[in-house]
Amino acid sequence: MKYAPLLLLLTVAVLVALPWLVSGSMLNAAVQMLIAALFAMAFGLLCGQAGLLSFGHAAYFGVGAFAAVHAMNAFGGEGLLPTPLLPLVGGATGLVSGLLAGYFSTKRTGVYFAMITLALAELLHALAPHLKTVFGGEAGVSSFRMPAWGIGFGSLNDVYFLTLVWTLLCIGLLYLFSKTPLGRLALGLRENAHRLRFLGYNTHALGTLIFAVSAMFAGVAGALQSMNIEAANYVVLESHISTAVVLNSFIGGVRVFLGPAIGGAVMTFFGHVTSDLTRVWLLYQGIIFVLVMMFLPRGIVGELVERLRSPGSEGFAGTLGTTLMRLASLAVAAFGGVFLVEFLQRFLSAEYRAGVQEGIWPNITLFSHDWAPLSVLPWGFGFGLFGLGIALVVMVNRRVAARKEAQA
Amino acid sequence: MSDPILSLQNVHKSFGEAHIIRDANLDVIPGERHAVIGPNGAGKSTLFHLCSGQFAPSEGKILLNGTNIAGLKPAEVNRRGLARSFQITNIFPGVSVFENLRLAVMRKHNLQFVFWRSVARLRRVNAEVDELLTRIRLSDRAYSLASQLSYSEQRSLEIGMTLASDPQVILLDEPMAGMSHEETNYTAGLIREITEGRTLLIVEHDMGVVFSLAHRISVLVYGEIVATGTPEEIRGNARVKEAYLGEEAA
Repeated sequence: MKYAPLLLLLTVAVLVALPWLVSGSMLNAAVQMLIAALFAMAFGLLCGQAGLLSFGHAAYFGVGAFAAVHAMNAFGGEGLLPTPLLPLVGGATGLVSGLLAGYFSTKRTGVYFAMITLALAELLHALAPHLKTVFGGEAGVSSFRMPAWGIGFGSLNDVYFLTLVWTLLCIGLLYLFSKTPLGRLALGLRENAHRLRFLGYNTHALGTLIFAVSAMFAGVAGALQSMNIEAANYVVLESHISTAVVLNSFIGGVRVFLGPAIGGAVMTFFGHVTSDLTRVWLLYQGIIFVLVMMFLPRGIVGELVERLRSPGSEGFAGTLGTTLMRLASLAVAAFGGVFLVEFLQRFLSAEYRAGVQEGIWPNITLFSHDWAPLSVLPWGFGFGLFGLGIALVVMVNRRVAARKEAQA
Repeated sequence: MSDPILSLQNVHKSFGEAHIIRDANLDVIPGERHAVIGPNGAGKSTLFHLCSGQFAPSEGKILLNGTNIAGLKPAEVNRRGLARSFQITNIFPGVSVFENLRLAVMRKHNLQFVFWRSVARLRRVNAEVDELLTRIRLSDRAYSLASQLSYSEQRSLEIGMTLASDPQVILLDEPMAGMSHEETNYTAGLIREITEGRTLLIVEHDMGVVFSLAHRISVLVYGEIVATGTPEEIRGNARVKEAYLGEEAA
């Protein structure tokens, strides 16, 4: 891992240069990706390091978002809380609500802990529409970013840099936190809370504090989100936000430090790209999660780190070679799969059904080609490519296994 | 005879109708290695759970250095100078051996809710961890995951973690369970070495170990201490022979 600092520096450099490299729409996506990355990192502290799987992290993201909007309205971006410091309000609100919720939920562990966090988040979500003064009802609460410190905060570039600075700062703080006694004790909590108690530690207080720190960073992410869109609505408290952060973190790899951030960023990017292209992008997201959990249970980054640490008998180049071959085969299978899903989706859609008259099935346009739905061609094409891809993967795997056996 | 460092007075523990410990009396003298033996189900582990704070006794007093610790929480008992190991290996499997010991040592230095210092700069803590590693002879495994250690190495680590808080009284619950003959000898030597200057209360099934290691032995049968004495006295005790050693010899 001797290239890690270099890689990190390069990534930061690219992130700083990004506004000059990509389009406005992509830069907007990048803001979302940064926010999702920070949110996932906050979740990762609790779930990956302390082993406490929260199903209600939207609550702390949400209170951070609302707190920032209210602070924006109250201070007008001046005085004690100029615009660049507003995420502090989100963090503070997250911290306080995390202390409260953490006190109750960390009295239990495992499934019971998850259930309590879910219940608390749902409680807030159910309550929010009725508390119009705080959560603004259906319309939500909106505000404006005011100029401060000589920065306008009107342009997307300014928002991007604000988000970037806060995200990098918070991830840096989370890294430092993992190196402190409290951060190390989080690992002890995950590995064996019982033993920790017999070593003389107060595990409930430890759990509460770590929960609060995680909620604090979730609150900062929430604040960045509401500052970005200059509004907050109680939909940020919905359970799908809680679920998304769980899925993103696990896809990235919840136990490796930057795993959740990369998972959050990649999946947000994926959503941004695919939601314009297809209506069933959530299905693809679900399939990706299932596949990652089945074949890369450590997550994408977790698996990568593991491979780099122990390249196995084939050496680094060999591993890289087979990985590329596997990826190419998977791409073929994925294309076949996507073709089938898209074809089926169009075939089964209500609009298409309405067009069917007197047993005449019109052609379906997919990938700028017209396909007759009742002919063998589209189905054969989809299933054929899918099968071919899977067969190639199996072949690569067999060859690797045979080589390993020959060496042994 | 000096005052006992750990003293059980008329201790009784029942779970509903089941009376596991009945009127147990036991005095452990400072600096001795004291073994508790008894047939399976006699209540040896329960006795340890009572002393270490896992359970509160239904009746009776448990005195550590003259103060009653009955009903205190495990963390509080630990802070008063009594540390224990477990019958089932009880370590932090997913982190390094070094980290396991560091987590154990940090408590002694009151490092619990500290988030403004880096663990890499805790010189005294890290030095103590290195010293412990040497004492339990695991220095060359410091950066292995605890889960990758052999069984007897894990038991050594477990003992090392028990030692980390620098306790006056150490409770070891069957430290040799499941070990080969060589591993047993090795661990017995280790225990002798590390308990120098401390008080040891040990539960162990290996009679060879018990009789060579312990200064005094107490025999627990159906929740009662039926005899306490030197290994010679215990060997000659008729009640013990009948209740326990007779079975063992047969």
